[in-house]
Amino acid sequence: MSAEPTSTPTRAAAHRLVAPAAALSITVASVWWAFPQGLTAWRSAAIVAAWAGTGLLVASLLLMVREAHLARLLGGLELSYRWHHRCGVIAYLLLLCHPLALALDGWAEAPHLAWQTLDPRAQSWPLWLGWAGLLSLMLGLATTFAVHLPYRRWRSFHFVLGGGVVLGLAHVYVLLGNERLLLALLLVAALALGWRLLASDLGLAAHPYRVTQVEKPAAGMIEASLAPCAAALAATPGQFVLAAFGDGASYHGCGEYHPFTVSGIDRQGRLRVCIKALGPCSQRLQDVEAGVLVRLEGPFGSFLDDLGCAPQLWVAGGIGITPFIAQLRAQGCRQATTLIYLYRQASNAAFLEELAAVAREDPLFELLADASGEALPDVDRLLASVSRLGERQVHLCGPQALLAAFTTALRQRGVAAAAIHFESFDFR
Amino acid sequence: MRRLFLFASAAFWLLVLAFATSQLWLPAAVETPQPVASGEFQALSEVARHKTPDDCWMAINDQVYDLSNYLPDHPSEPEVIVAWCGREASEAYRTKMKGRAHSARADRLLAAYRIATLTP
Repeated sequence: MSAEPTSTPTRAAAHRLVAPAAALSITVASVWWAFPQGLTAWRSAAIVAAWAGTGLLVASLLLMVREAHLARLLGGLELSYRWHHRCGVIAYLLLLCHPLALALDGWAEAPHLAWQTLDPRAQSWPLWLGWAGLLSLMLGLATTFAVHLPYRRWRSFHFVLGGGVVLGLAHVYVLLGNERLLLALLLVAALALGWRLLASDLGLAAHPYRVTQVEKPAAGMIEASLAPCAAALAATPGQFVLAAFGDGASYHGCGEYHPFTVSGIDRQGRLRVCIKALGPCSQRLQDVEAGVLVRLEGPFGSFLDDLGCAPQLWVAGGIGITPFIAQLRAQGCRQATTLIYLYRQASNAAFLEELAAVAREDPLFELLADASGEALPDVDRLLASVSRLGERQVHLCGPQALLAAFTTALRQRGVAAAAIHFESFDFR
Repeated sequence: MRRLFLFASAAFWLLVLAFATSQLWLPAAVETPQPVASGEFQALSEVARHKTPDDCWMAINDQVYDLSNYLPDHPSEPEVIVAWCGREASEAYRTKMKGRAHSARADRLLAAYRIATLTP
């Protein structure tokens, strides 16, 4: 997601700093507490690297927590996850330096001591824990970067990273014992991992909903209407929820949480979500039926918050139409708005008739629909037909290639980067 | 970040490999006589037999120490030091609380409990 909506730029910018500031604070506090005195340079470097890495690992766990209020504080779930990734990788690099610096410390004393410091055969279980933690992080990160792995396998390997963190913290605890800061780090790590596993992954904090209706607005896509069984989520247009569909009379859900943008919200808290068949789970969801229980987490995102009064340009590619249809259904247009809606062919164009009807009835709303086939659309031609382009706030939602093409073309036409907003849903 | 991960991991294993094979590529070191007090040598397997609080040997920096009589005087919780009885404890000796080394006074004190040189 790009810059936050325009009416609250200062607050949005401040939120963007919360995640790095939290990570930095934990890291600095850890290093400050453990800062070595009177040791050799290499041993001091090893200790600083270890504690900076430990602090960043704990921060990384904190940034992995999937909770709506925390996500809002951290500038959104996507930003939070981005810092989760950065902290994890930097922590890994620092932790690689830890044993190497210890070996170099031994080397400075006598070269044969370097390998003796590293050799697992010369060590015992407190140090084996450290090695096991480091190797788990290595394996977990190797699979994290294997973006072509099927999602389910990728996700299971991601748990290895959590195991690596636990082993690493156990290594520190065994060596140091009940030290106050270490106990605080362990508490934060335990709470973050516990929340993620129990509240998020097992869904203990999720809101129960039930599918009341399923429609097929386009080929390979459904729109499911969901009614709350208890308290409803306070979703707004442009937000997304994480949904895990259960079983029905003749339907067996995959039970995994996947993000779906809300396509409709009513006053009773009922939601509609659009699901396109993109993977095994979403393919199975094409057959979901009324009565199925759904667990929802969220809402997340602030894509269409505070649209302000500037004229709008919305660009939707395929299923990227969902936040815009939610906005039109909930509030209509309050400012001059042009929607460029791109799809491969007419059968893939969800809500086209509904959008055309809005365009006929609302003079503020203009629809430019275009069937672009398999290739990227003619962006220059499309933008040439949009008046007052430089005055508009631009919101983009669609495939990465489409976002990139439009962002480049808009920047070439003088649209400021701060006026371009998009969602990418890239959580891996 | 993927490239950074791959580069760092490869560099890490190359350095570990370099340390592991250092005996092959380092020039032969000039043998210097070890400081031997009693002239006796003990293997790590022998050290491992003395692993109780009442009979506690440790191998630290290629020397063997009998710390049985010292354990009651050690300032930490007993389980912290007892866990190292019968074992190679050089790294633990160098990285006590928060990774700090023992003091020079502790080094002098330790020397009083030395009983042998560790068999290479």
